[in-house]
Amino acid sequence: MSAPHAAGYLLVRRAGGVWGIANEAVSGLARNGRGYRLTVGGEVLAADEILGVVTGLRVLPPAPALRRFWPESPAGMAVHGGLPLVVVDPLRVPAALRWNEGEDA
Amino acid sequence: MGEPLTPLIGDGARKTRREGTHLLVRAGEYSCALPLSAVRRVVRALTVHPLPGAAGELEGLAEFGGEPLPVLNLARLVNASPGANPSYPVTVVVWVGPVEGREMIGFTADAALEVVHVPPESIVAASDGGFLQGEAPVGGEVVRILNLDALGH
Repeated sequence: MSAPHAAGYLLVRRAGGVWGIANEAVSGLARNGRGYRLTVGGEVLAADEILGVVTGLRVLPPAPALRRFWPESPAGMAVHGGLPLVVVDPLRVPAALRWNEGEDA
Repeated sequence: MGEPLTPLIGDGARKTRREGTHLLVRAGEYSCALPLSAVRRVVRALTVHPLPGAAGELEGLAEFGGEPLPVLNLARLVNASPGANPSYPVTVVVWVGPVEGREMIGFTADAALEVVHVPPESIVAASDGGFLQGEAPVGGEVVRILNLDALGH
């Protein structure tokens, strides 16, 4: 797991959910059609919407219920502006965030 | 919903208070009993944000009291067939797991019904010893008694 308590997080919307990615893990961000293409930890990710960058996010460890019923391995979970979000581990990016070849996000 | 059921049983001066032990909720075709001691709150169904790729039991994440709350579908957890569209669906916020490592989760349910007293000796234990502790007759109906500690393991 890496960067569970980063200084800032990029918040993106993708696949109906909100995701937080540690700022320092984001090495690229570009508009792509209707969405965005991100480079995180050497992987190319897709986002439907960029919600902004937040600091002071209170990141909680992933609940056991998440680990039990969700095959992904997030760095944590948090709430910002009343929205629950998943904090991404840049080394284990959830499949829903991965860029699909030929995707025009 | 927060007051335990304390019906008076007996007559004259010999009245016995039977405190509620479980919250009865409707989950699809089943009625399920959740230990009252684990129930933190019952609220109108929270808005849940799905987690792509999650098992059907996990509806997603909601916000509750400023904290992220994993929300599980109770009907799916007990393998109940879906009921009719509930008119007042609720999220039951509960503690699960052992005290030293408990976590807060939400259950979606079709309705919160009532607080009931379930005598331990009336519970017919389930064979698997997991989330379903067993079954017990309550008010002429067989209800499923849930063991929330098992979910936190």
